[in-house]
Amino acid sequence: MKLRLSSSCAVIAYTLLVVVPLWLAIDRLIWVAGFDPLGWINSLNGNYISQGVVAFTFLQALLSTVVTLVIGLPIAWQLGRYKWPLQSLIKATLTMPFVMPSIVAAMGFLHLIGPSGLNIRIDDTTWFATLIIAHAWFNLALVIRFCEPVLSTLDPNLEEQMRLLPAGHSKIGRFRNLWVPLLAPSIAAAACMTFVFSFTSFALVRWITLGDNTLESVMANIGSSAGIPNYMLARNEIILGASLIQFTVLIASLWLMSWLQHRRQNLLPQASEFTVKRVNNSGWMIISPAVIFALSPLIAVFWASFRIRHTDSTGTSYSWETSGWEFAFAGSSSMSSAWDALWNSLGYAMITLCIALPLGWALAQTILDVEKERPKTARFLDVLTMIPFAASSVMIGLGVMLGMIRIDAEFFYSFWPTPVIAHVMITTPFVVRIMLPALRSLNPIYDECAQTLGIPAWRRFMSIRLPLLRGSILVAVIFTLAMSLGEFGASWVVTRNSDWTTLPIMIDSLRSIPYNNTYTAPAACAVSSVLMGITLLLFTWAEKFRPARDGGMF
Amino acid sequence: MFSEFDLELEPGEIIAITGPSGCGKTTLLRCICGLEEPDSGSIYLNGKDITNLPAEKRGVGLIFQNPVLFPHLSVEGNLLLGNKKGDVAKALEEVGLSEFQNRRVESLSGGEGQRVALARALLAQPKVLLLDEPFSSLDDELSDKLVQDVRSILKQRKCPAVLVTHNKIIAENFADSVISL
Repeated sequence: MKLRLSSSCAVIAYTLLVVVPLWLAIDRLIWVAGFDPLGWINSLNGNYISQGVVAFTFLQALLSTVVTLVIGLPIAWQLGRYKWPLQSLIKATLTMPFVMPSIVAAMGFLHLIGPSGLNIRIDDTTWFATLIIAHAWFNLALVIRFCEPVLSTLDPNLEEQMRLLPAGHSKIGRFRNLWVPLLAPSIAAAACMTFVFSFTSFALVRWITLGDNTLESVMANIGSSAGIPNYMLARNEIILGASLIQFTVLIASLWLMSWLQHRRQNLLPQASEFTVKRVNNSGWMIISPAVIFALSPLIAVFWASFRIRHTDSTGTSYSWETSGWEFAFAGSSSMSSAWDALWNSLGYAMITLCIALPLGWALAQTILDVEKERPKTARFLDVLTMIPFAASSVMIGLGVMLGMIRIDAEFFYSFWPTPVIAHVMITTPFVVRIMLPALRSLNPIYDECAQTLGIPAWRRFMSIRLPLLRGSILVAVIFTLAMSLGEFGASWVVTRNSDWTTLPIMIDSLRSIPYNNTYTAPAACAVSSVLMGITLLLFTWAEKFRPARDGGMF
Repeated sequence: MFSEFDLELEPGEIIAITGPSGCGKTTLLRCICGLEEPDSGSIYLNGKDITNLPAEKRGVGLIFQNPVLFPHLSVEGNLLLGNKKGDVAKALEEVGLSEFQNRRVESLSGGEGQRVALARALLAQPKVLLLDEPFSSLDDELSDKLVQDVRSILKQRKCPAVLVTHNKIIAENFADSVISL
């Protein structure tokens, strides 16, 4: 089978940009720490920095998954089964948290439970509960995106038929014999992805728990001192142990999700959304609190950006001012201005888009081209493009950083676009996941028909393929921009030793300034509001182009 | 699928090939227009070997069993894909769809869609037109009318054509001669 030139270039470019940095990082860490996988894993509990981290990571991920399903399923049921006024606006509001940068969510929840909000920030138990709720808020969209399309477009004949059969005479019978088997793969797929995202959570853990660590945050905290021979050797072991556990768990979860998705895609008899849905007024009891839940942390961030704390001998008082915004945008000798961070973020996002979109598209096309004749090769490529999902953003950041050290540290630390490498590594798999189903659903008969009309390849691409794929391409564009703008974990590791502040890094830096500066918290919220505004704009735009029954997380 | 199959067409000649499902009728057409490669054998057009030419360079038109209309384009947009400078109004008039220029393709019925596909294929001025059971999804009345309309258009243009179908009546009504596989 002949592989196109673009396919070969895409695979080579992906290997160089994504696989090689990760390989260099692991190679470097093993070179320093020695090859002893069991020792790496044991070092996690043998060292005070990482003691209890494995248990905490699993516990919070499991609880987050359960809570997300408990909150998300009734909402998905209401959205999928019934007709709502402003349906698309409600759906967009409820799924928006997923595209919000995690650090914005962290700021939102901090203010929601803090003195300027509900004021329930008491001890570790409150922080832990807040973390779980924040994860549920963040991942709610997954349950809705996976389950709602199955519910909303299932052929009503199936349920009508079930009503007439003894097994489906009662609601419970129909639930057990129809809905549970039909929804189970979607629920399980959503649970898998929620587990993955909670397992690798970084910004929320870093800011909400104030002390507890997941494998991800431990790696981020000690990453800058790793990879140096004869220096803090235990840290290399911890990172390798954490990566090994994380990689194994994530690969297993992703494999399970991929298998479930495959099962989920088995053709269900579908009907138009409009023929299935009915009105359900009592459903507002679920939808209204859900909308409030989705919006609260975001409103809290914006609100808090104007609330300035004043402390003097008489006590603490608050006033409403724009000083937080002024502080953020003015900058100082020790802190870049929000303008600098904004331009850096936009610049990185644009360059990331220019690389990740064509690369991800070409990889998706390659997988599609190969899978008919060489399914095993296609499967291998498919897994290869998912490696960054399993490596987590902090590990990717470490990969870039250690790769830089290995190749030419001086050059990379003075090279402004360096963080783009990490952003490309993170966003390319998402582009592949968006473009692959779109390319698969493109009926080849259109291209064949155009060929018989004598239309040359380039014109076929421009006037047929491109317009037919327009929706998915735009979703990929917007998603890539949003992901790059909000990327925190990898950028935090890569830009630690440089001055390339991005919006999420600036939020983190502002919040890290001691609490006695009254402007830092409002300034962090002001920058968060800017990031939130851009993301909202992109998300609203993306919603216009999303295929009706996409049924996936993106 | 089939071997030792020779087929020669004169200008303006219309032939039909019939046979049961799975006997290779569609594959034969796809080989002729270049969407599939034959294992062996050659295809000549006006004395020129086109066996290794890509489909878009052969000048052979194909009408599919179900009308293939590009959903992102209007009827006019679809026709202009066949020939950028073609007379769309005249082409639509030929197939009896004079007022359809600005219609969206999703608003067309099956018969109308097939006529648009035919108009587009003819606008591309193919040297040979291949028809892959284009009348099979239509009701009898519409099918009979379209068979006659298409035949007369092809005859007017002296465009040779090959129709494959499992319906012997349609084959006899449409073609000058019928080959059974």
